[in-house]
Amino acid sequence: MRNYGPIDDFTVFELYPDIQLTHDNIEHYRALAERKLVINRCGACGTWIYPHRPMCPECWSWNVKPEEISGFGKVFMFTLLYHERDPGSATREPLPVAAVELVEQKGLRYLSRIVNCRPEDIRHDMLVRLTWIEIGNLEWPAFEPIPGLGSDARG
Amino acid sequence: MARNRFNDTVAVVGVGSSPYGRDLRRSHLSLGLEAAVRAIEDAGIDKQEIDGICGSGMTPLAQGGAGFLSLQGALGIERCTWVLNGWLGSAFVYAASAVASGLCDTALIVQTYQRDPGMSRSANADPFRRALQKFGDVGGDIGGSDFAKRWVHSGEPYAAWMKRYMHDYRTNKDAFAYMAVNNRSHGSRNPAAVMQQPITLEDYHASRMIWEPMQIYDMDVPVDCAEAHVITTTERARDLPHKPVMVHAASLGGTRCGEYYENTLGWTENAHWVAAQGLWERSAIRLPEVDLFYPYDGYTIDAVGVLEAVGYCAPGEAGDFLKANWDEAAQVLRLNGRTQVTTHGGGLAQGRAGGANFYSEAVRQLRGSEGARQVDGAKTALINIGSFFHDPSAVMLRAE
Repeated sequence: MRNYGPIDDFTVFELYPDIQLTHDNIEHYRALAERKLVINRCGACGTWIYPHRPMCPECWSWNVKPEEISGFGKVFMFTLLYHERDPGSATREPLPVAAVELVEQKGLRYLSRIVNCRPEDIRHDMLVRLTWIEIGNLEWPAFEPIPGLGSDARG
Repeated sequence: MARNRFNDTVAVVGVGSSPYGRDLRRSHLSLGLEAAVRAIEDAGIDKQEIDGICGSGMTPLAQGGAGFLSLQGALGIERCTWVLNGWLGSAFVYAASAVASGLCDTALIVQTYQRDPGMSRSANADPFRRALQKFGDVGGDIGGSDFAKRWVHSGEPYAAWMKRYMHDYRTNKDAFAYMAVNNRSHGSRNPAAVMQQPITLEDYHASRMIWEPMQIYDMDVPVDCAEAHVITTTERARDLPHKPVMVHAASLGGTRCGEYYENTLGWTENAHWVAAQGLWERSAIRLPEVDLFYPYDGYTIDAVGVLEAVGYCAPGEAGDFLKANWDEAAQVLRLNGRTQVTTHGGGLAQGRAGGANFYSEAVRQLRGSEGARQVDGAKTALINIGSFFHDPSAVMLRAE
């Protein structure tokens, strides 16, 4: 599904019925529905703030606004799921899930899937870039190796 | 040194355990009541002496289950001046601190755990367990449907950290394997353990892969069970039947990244390190004086993290350290030649009690009442329960 903004609050609630939407995180999901990955950033000191919080933890400024990220990062940590706990879910084995450290800031890690890469080729610190995958009739962010760099960029 | 209000002034005087089993067909409350009654009887006190209760659950005011709102009425305890729910190792510390602060004189801790429906297909086929998931406040999974926000299940970040740990320290799975075999060896000598068969290092490595690199033998065993403890002042404890087991010092641990499991911190900045440091700032008993060591084993990476956090070895050296401290004949660990580890088998063998059975075992060992399994002369026990992402506890217990 491809969504086109602007999307009002009611639509965001309809699109993400299983997410506990709050005034602090709704812009993230509104942006996802527009196929954009945004992370909160402090307008005063520039710190990227994730998870979605309304105040900068470094300088306590409330001037915090979502900003689109570059989409580049590296695989900080990952695991391959051979078993899903939810008995109702389809078992795709092995399913790679990863915490991707975004280039914007040290320690700024976003949980996502690694796609377009054989599970056995995923490496720590491998360079990746943002892409989108469809799950449950919605598009979600995922990360893929950068062609020519991907599996060779080993940490 | 930081302030230490415990300093042996509060003591564990009662311990009670329910049976352990994969399918006991009993409610949280039923299991909790059995453990509670046993603990109060073990303490040798009248139930009306209980004036504080720490029930089971992640939600402080949760209703139903074995939360304090249910336990007090179900036990017929008239009056409490302190109540709370808790889980993992922090429940014990909450109750001990309530006694130390004077909010109550005699606290009852009840911790119940069940094989939740999310843990296996067979568990999910049980309508009682499904109802637990639907209505329960305990054991909620971290994650839900939003994979962009969180892991698929709460356990995967532990697997990912295990992998990152091996990568950063250029090490293998030895540390995890020794911990798993140690716990299963001890479990084979504990009649209460659901896993009675010991395993070998080879068995460990050959076990089923769940979340690479985490294997089935790295994970605690989901069971139905309950543990209960009675804590009171050491002064009162001296009038009671058992040798008092005193809380010498304790710490909890919080980091700025507890909420989200991707964790912006590094391995040695995680919550177990914070709790361990908090303990060492308060404890006059130092690591070389520890007779018994109880590192939580929800996953073996927890136990390895705790081992390094409390200072048995440098970060990344757990594999070599455990190998050098391995008793080949007994297939158990003896740290620095003597300190035994998780003498009841922990969650990996006795069963998953959120660490509550580690306290029970430590208290029984320090009383000297474990019979054939008794570790001679054990006077001190270090217990570290919880997650390296959130609310770990570090507790030093001692007997006279």
